[in-house]
This record gives sequence, C-alpha cells and structure tokens, in this order.
Amino acid sequence: MRGFLTAKGIIGGGIVVIVLLTALFAPLLIPDTWATQMDMRARLSGPTLAHPLGTDQLGRDLMYRMLLGAQTSIMIAGTAVLMSLVIGLPLGVISGYFGGWIDNVLMRLVDTLLAFPALLLALTISAVLGPNLTNTIIAIGIAFTPYLARIIRGEALRVAQMPYVEAARAVGTPDTLMIIRHVLPNIMPPVIVQVTISLAFAILAEAGLSFLGLGTQPPDASWGLMIQASRDFLDVAPLTALVPGAAVAITVLGLNMFGDVLRDVLDPRTQ
Amino acid sequence: MHYIANRLLSVAFTLLLISLITFLVTNILPGDVAMVIMGTQSNPEALAGLRESLGLNDPLIAQYGRWITGILTGDWGRSLVFKEAIGPLIADKVVASALIVVMSMCIALAAAIPLGIWAAVHRDKWQDNAASTTALFGVSLPDFFWGIMLILLFARYLGWLPSSGFVHPADDFVAAVRHAFLPSLALGLGLMAHLTRMTRSTMSSILSQEFIRVARAKGLTERTVIWRYALANAIGPVMTVAGLQVGYLFGSIIVIESLFNFTGMGWLTYQALLNRDIPLIQSTVFVIAAVVMLTNLVVDLLYAAVDPRIKLP
Repeated sequence: MRGFLTAKGIIGGGIVVIVLLTALFAPLLIPDTWATQMDMRARLSGPTLAHPLGTDQLGRDLMYRMLLGAQTSIMIAGTAVLMSLVIGLPLGVISGYFGGWIDNVLMRLVDTLLAFPALLLALTISAVLGPNLTNTIIAIGIAFTPYLARIIRGEALRVAQMPYVEAARAVGTPDTLMIIRHVLPNIMPPVIVQVTISLAFAILAEAGLSFLGLGTQPPDASWGLMIQASRDFLDVAPLTALVPGAAVAITVLGLNMFGDVLRDVLDPRTQ
Repeated sequence: MHYIANRLLSVAFTLLLISLITFLVTNILPGDVAMVIMGTQSNPEALAGLRESLGLNDPLIAQYGRWITGILTGDWGRSLVFKEAIGPLIADKVVASALIVVMSMCIALAAAIPLGIWAAVHRDKWQDNAASTTALFGVSLPDFFWGIMLILLFARYLGWLPSSGFVHPADDFVAAVRHAFLPSLALGLGLMAHLTRMTRSTMSSILSQEFIRVARAKGLTERTVIWRYALANAIGPVMTVAGLQVGYLFGSIIVIESLFNFTGMGWLTYQALLNRDIPLIQSTVFVIAAVVMLTNLVVDLLYAAVDPRIKLP
C-alpha cells in the first residue's frame, strides 16, 4: 500500500476516483434539463454566475454538459476495454501457455491486426457498422484486443516456464486447473497495469472517433462530441473546446499517473 | 541474406492476411457498392442489374480474387466519391502524408532525445520530474486538442502560419513546409512525449552500467560519456520505438489531416469512410497497414546496421 502514497499516486488515484464518482453520480444528481436547457440570451457566453464555465452555441451550460458527458465517455471506454480483455485474455493465455502451432497461428493473426493502426481499425469498424454508442464500444474493443492479447501472451509464456508450473505439471495437474490456479493469478499484475493504461487510450480513442463524427452521436453527450461541436466557434468562445478538452486531458492524465504507480507497486521488474 | 529473404517472405504472407482482413471487414457492410452508387431509394431492378454487372453476386472468394488481382496488377478500381482511378489518387496523397509524418518524427526526435537524456542524467531530481511531467501531459492530451490549440495560437491570434490546406513541395517548398508545420507539430507533440519516456528509461539504465563508470574513471568529459558512450547504446531501442510509433502516427493523421484540411492519406481515408466509398476504403486501409508493416521491417534492418553487435543470421 505504501507505494501508492507518493505524490503521483495520490494525485492520479484522486483524479480517477473523482472522475468515476462524477460518471456514477452526476446523472443522478443533475437533472437532464439543466444540460439541455437552451439559454438563448447567453449563447457562447464566457463564465458568468449562472454558467460558471460558459455556454455552447445553443446556450447550453458547459459545466453540466461536461459533468454528464463523463458517464458516456467512461462507460464507452470501460466497456470497450472489458470487451478486449474478455477476448484477449483467453487468446493470450492459450497462445502463451500451450505454445506450438496454436501460438503460431494466433500470434500471426494478432501481428497482422497490429499492422492496422488502432484508431484506423476502430474508425473503419465504426463506419462499417454505422456510428452509434454500441458500435463505438465494439469498434474500440476490437481495435484494442490484439494489444492486450500480445502482452498477455508474453506473460503467460513467461509463467508457463516457471519452476512452480513445472512442479505442478509433474504431479499431474490438468491444464485447465493449471491455468486457473497458477497461470492466471501470476499474470494478473502486468495485465491490471495494461488495462489501466488501455482505459486512458480508450478515452482518447472515443474522443477521436466522436470528434470525427464516427463515434457517439447526438443527443448523447460525450467529450469528443463537445469538442467537435466547438470547432466553428473557437474564435468567439474558446471555452467550448477548452472545457471538454480539459476533461479528457485530466482523466487521461489521472489514469496514466495511476497506471505508472500501479506498475511500480505491482510489477517491480519493469521500472 | 537468408534472414532478409525470410523476413520478406513473412512480410508477403502478412500483406496477404492484411488484404484478406481489409476485404472481409468492408464486406460486412449492410449496404454494398451498388447501393452507394444508386442511393437507397433506387429502383430494385436497376439495382439488381448494377450488382450483376459489378459482379457483386459472385461468391465472396471470387470477388476477393478479383480485387487482389487488381491490386497486384495496378488496377485499383475507381473511387465512387472522387470519380477517379484510385491508384493515382492515392499516389498523390501519399506525398502529403509522408511530408507530415517525416516532419513530425523529426520534431519529436529533436525534442525527445535531449529532454530524455536531460531527465536521465539528473535522475530523481527536479529536472527529471519536470521532463517526466511534461511527457505525461503530452501523452494525455488528445492530438486533435493540441491541433485546435495550435490553430488558435499560431494561426488565429499570432497569424504566423496557415491553419489549413496542403501545398505540394514540388510547387513551392517553403509554402509546403509552412502549411505542413502546424499539423506536424500537433502530431509531433504526442509522439515526443512517448519518445521522451523511452529515451529517459533506456538512458538511465545504460548510465548505471559498468562501462560508463569505467569511462568516467578514465577521466573522459561528461559530454563524451553521455553523447558518445551512452547515447550510442541507447539510440537502438529509441529508434525501434520510434518505428513502432509510425503505426500510431498513421492512426493520428486521420484526425489531424481532417482537422487541418490537409489533403493526405488520412484525409482521403476519412472521406472514404464518411461517404462509404467501399473501393477507396479497401485501398486506403490496405496501403496504410502495408506502409506501417514495411516501416517496421526497415527499422529492424536499420537497427542491425546501426548496432554492430546485432548480426543478421
């Protein structure tokens, strides 16, 4: 636990907790109408008492939209990473643990997928399936799977050669039990670190997809969508871009800091 | 030579797989090329006729065979949106993207290597913290956000550089670089952050090794130790990571080129995706994946050339 009590750990962990709480509770505490109400007399306004962070082109309050957007962004990123973990974990473990031709075939496929830049793959899948919230999750989830599978495979390969696995094999432990009891628990630390960092990348990916109009669609509010909407009003109201941009940046920064500290604590080999 | 031949064979095989995946992904589209050409409100009979004439009723494997033969023989088909032959269209756009990819890589390396060395030399002091925090911010901000900020600062407020458009280097080199500068900087900042972290960690592990202590004990100046001894050993891993980041760059150019209205491969891919121009999507996605893979091959070979300890078997 002591490893978390560095400046980086406290700031990173604090940001992650605050963002998660916002994503969970903002929609319960803030009525929808506050974020959709159009104040036509105060369009594109700077900070005022009524609108502390200003308003967008339709006179909607930027602070409320940013707070409510947290849920969409976090939900998409979280589900997408969960999806890539659900596919990537068995692929990586099977490939690394069994080796041989299974490993060859699976990793050749993974390497091929890695030749596609993740954002390009996600954009293509999203465009092909038709952009909406569910398909954004699927697109990011598929695009991230090869990265996780590759890392998990490396870890499984390392663990499979450990003396304790050899010992367990010598006493006749069946493969399934071996994977559950010995391999999975021992590959978890680096996998958890990777998942945290993937979450940061998934938030960036969602923002990028929505920014290009191939991710979240209105009326859902997400940070990327807010930045996209701000493009035409940058001169008059820079806050329309700065508010959601800062939300993305702070969240990703928090996740990266937390990921770095997690790595130091859980995985001391790679410092 | 044996190694290179093997690598090339494996590259050819992977290219084949890439083409197969590209083709399959674009064929799960709910509509097809005929629908895109004629629109959803079109006469079903005319649609069926067009499908037949385009060969869309053939089995998927036959369609793939036709497409890949076309790719290999230089007949890449026609874009539905631009109404042009795809081959020359892509050749034209590759120049623009190459310009910003190379420029952003130069910007990133020029900043990341000194910054990373500075952090590693002053490990765990304020200089290290400052460099690492800068890098962390660079990694955390979305590149399109950098782009927007750069447009606001350099194009709108200061008016120093143009914020959109592409000029071909052959027409006017200075104008080409001026137009490419802001998009390259937006791409380079994120990349710089990754490379700084990599340089710092590689350099700090090398600086704690025996031969560095020996070099210092011999009385060599700190400058010689760092730049000639340590950096010579750190440059390989940094180059490998820089090569791997080319894939990341080719993902980012889609966003950045669209933001800056810079008509390169990323912009072209975005137009293709937005308009569901299936033949163009297939070709652009295939070309980008192929370029990323070939870059990694080149980096591997360069690594062996730079580092005499690595002999190609």
